[in-house]
Amino acid sequence: MAIASLLFHRMTDEIEAPSAPASAPRYLAADEVGLVTSQDFVYPRAFTFKNGQQLSGLALRYETYGTLNATRDNAVLICHALSGNHHAAGWNSPADKKPGWWNNLIGPGKAVDTRRFFVICANVPGGCSGSTGPSSPNPATGEPYGLRFPALTILDMVRAQKLLLDHLGVAELHTVIGGSMGGMTAMLFAIEFPRFTRRLLAMATTAREGAQAIAFNEVGRQAIMQDPAWLNGDYPRDGGPRVGLAIARMMAHITYLSDASMERKFGRRTIQSRAQSPQLHSELPASGAPPSDSPLSTLNSQPSAAAADFNIQFEVESYLRHQGQTFINRFDANSYLYITRALDQFDLDHAYGSLEQAFAPVQAESLVVGFTSDWLFPPEQNRAIALALLRAGKRASYAELATDLGHDSFLLESEELYALVRGFLERDQPYASDFAI
Amino acid sequence: MTQLVEKRTVDMQIIGDWVEPSTRVLDLGCGRGELLDYLVQTKQVSALGVDLDFGKITACVRRGVPAYQGDMIACMASFPARHFDRVICSRTVQELHAPASVIAEALRVARSVTVGFVNHAFWKNRLDLLVRGRKARNAVYTTPWAESRPANPVSVADFEDFCTAQGIRITRRALLMGDWKTPCPALPNLLAGYALYDLTR
Repeated sequence: MAIASLLFHRMTDEIEAPSAPASAPRYLAADEVGLVTSQDFVYPRAFTFKNGQQLSGLALRYETYGTLNATRDNAVLICHALSGNHHAAGWNSPADKKPGWWNNLIGPGKAVDTRRFFVICANVPGGCSGSTGPSSPNPATGEPYGLRFPALTILDMVRAQKLLLDHLGVAELHTVIGGSMGGMTAMLFAIEFPRFTRRLLAMATTAREGAQAIAFNEVGRQAIMQDPAWLNGDYPRDGGPRVGLAIARMMAHITYLSDASMERKFGRRTIQSRAQSPQLHSELPASGAPPSDSPLSTLNSQPSAAAADFNIQFEVESYLRHQGQTFINRFDANSYLYITRALDQFDLDHAYGSLEQAFAPVQAESLVVGFTSDWLFPPEQNRAIALALLRAGKRASYAELATDLGHDSFLLESEELYALVRGFLERDQPYASDFAI
Repeated sequence: MTQLVEKRTVDMQIIGDWVEPSTRVLDLGCGRGELLDYLVQTKQVSALGVDLDFGKITACVRRGVPAYQGDMIACMASFPARHFDRVICSRTVQELHAPASVIAEALRVARSVTVGFVNHAFWKNRLDLLVRGRKARNAVYTTPWAESRPANPVSVADFEDFCTAQGIRITRRALLMGDWKTPCPALPNLLAGYALYDLTR
């Protein structure tokens, strides 16, 4: 399957040495957004979270691609997932090895065509990539907020991003797009700002997590909170529960893949059976390792005769440890706690009485996309969203792409998916302003 | 294949005549959304299509026809009774595993159900079997048996017997000759090439 191999190419980029650069840098190519600079929006007034707590100001880091048109109605908002950020496309520097996380979808002539649309992506509040979050300094003390940061919900992410869109002069959203948590954000955008949101594209998402998804998030949170270096969230900037966060990421990463894709990618291959760059493993005894009496110390593969048997043997172990290692260098443990809690709390059925009632105000034309092998937010949960929209009398479509790559399939390099997204964004028929029951 | 395109157009025109303006229409096996697109444009219906194929859903989305990818029974089961005004099942019944359940479910979610199908008892098909002793091969049945999808061909008589047995009322019927244009004056089970029914409970 060609699309599968493409994605694996992308995935393996992370564990293999960077390939030799092409003659011209890719960021200069005509179908790429190229070099982009992140910007900061600082909301100067108090921002009130859903639970009533306030922050005296709120910063959102964001990127834009393309140009806002004269009628200010060609904006496409991209909503990122749990571990994503505002850097959705392009390169921040010529030295960047990889472009933004949804670069395959966004660019001149791509499915989300930046020649046509003004594309915006912002790091959510509570995040750790430049937007105000638990790791930001509390103006009152100068120390990071830690657990003094207000309880976070998807609604807070939606309201904060609406402030940014107002600031940018966007009159209405042509489309709001998101996968996974981004799909939740996108749905809530269409619910909370119905006249502002003309199209909704939600992928690999859910209106409410099931017990299994909550359970995985809880294991991740416990890995962080049981790490002695967590210190009730008051860890120093250069420290923190790195082992706990790495384990949380390792486990979560499994939930983003599938049995079939892991089998194909790793199988039972061992480290010895494949020529591998040795520096990969020397990274693994991570800084911030727990004390040797910690139950987590096996992650830190100390060379000892007794422990040698528990060093990395299989490629899949190496891959997961690498995922954990790279994650702790870019993500904040408290942000992980806050955002996973926001995911768990999201429940459209409960918040609005029923899913149909939740969608009652929606005026956007909607497209929901599920992926057959997604067992984290499985197709049924995506189908339920589309069917509730339809029962509520809305214009909605549901498409289901057959992939074996699991939850991360929404990031797939797939011409079929591109054609669907492009078809949804670019068809020129006028949408019905209201689709009364 | 222009012959088939013309035939499709005839089908669309008759269904278009039967569909009331500004009603809610569900099309089972909507394909690339041509029929619904036509009904949206001519009758301003609120359309929803159902199909199993991702590429067909993409085609519907591209032309602005809402479409649901998945099983038609499961899709209908998630709607309350009479959610739709009309369910259309055009040239789909012969490929269903359980046509009776589909029609029953369609009659639950809609006031009326339009069913169109190729009459398998059309005289040319009978001749193929009787004289040649072989599966019918013509503009409708284009493939030899080994390349055909599983099919459960239906005749005018089969269908009307079914409706009688199930207590389903036939409110309208259009029987066309082999050209799918000329009305069939008599002996429809033998002479009709294409049949369209409007059903209600």
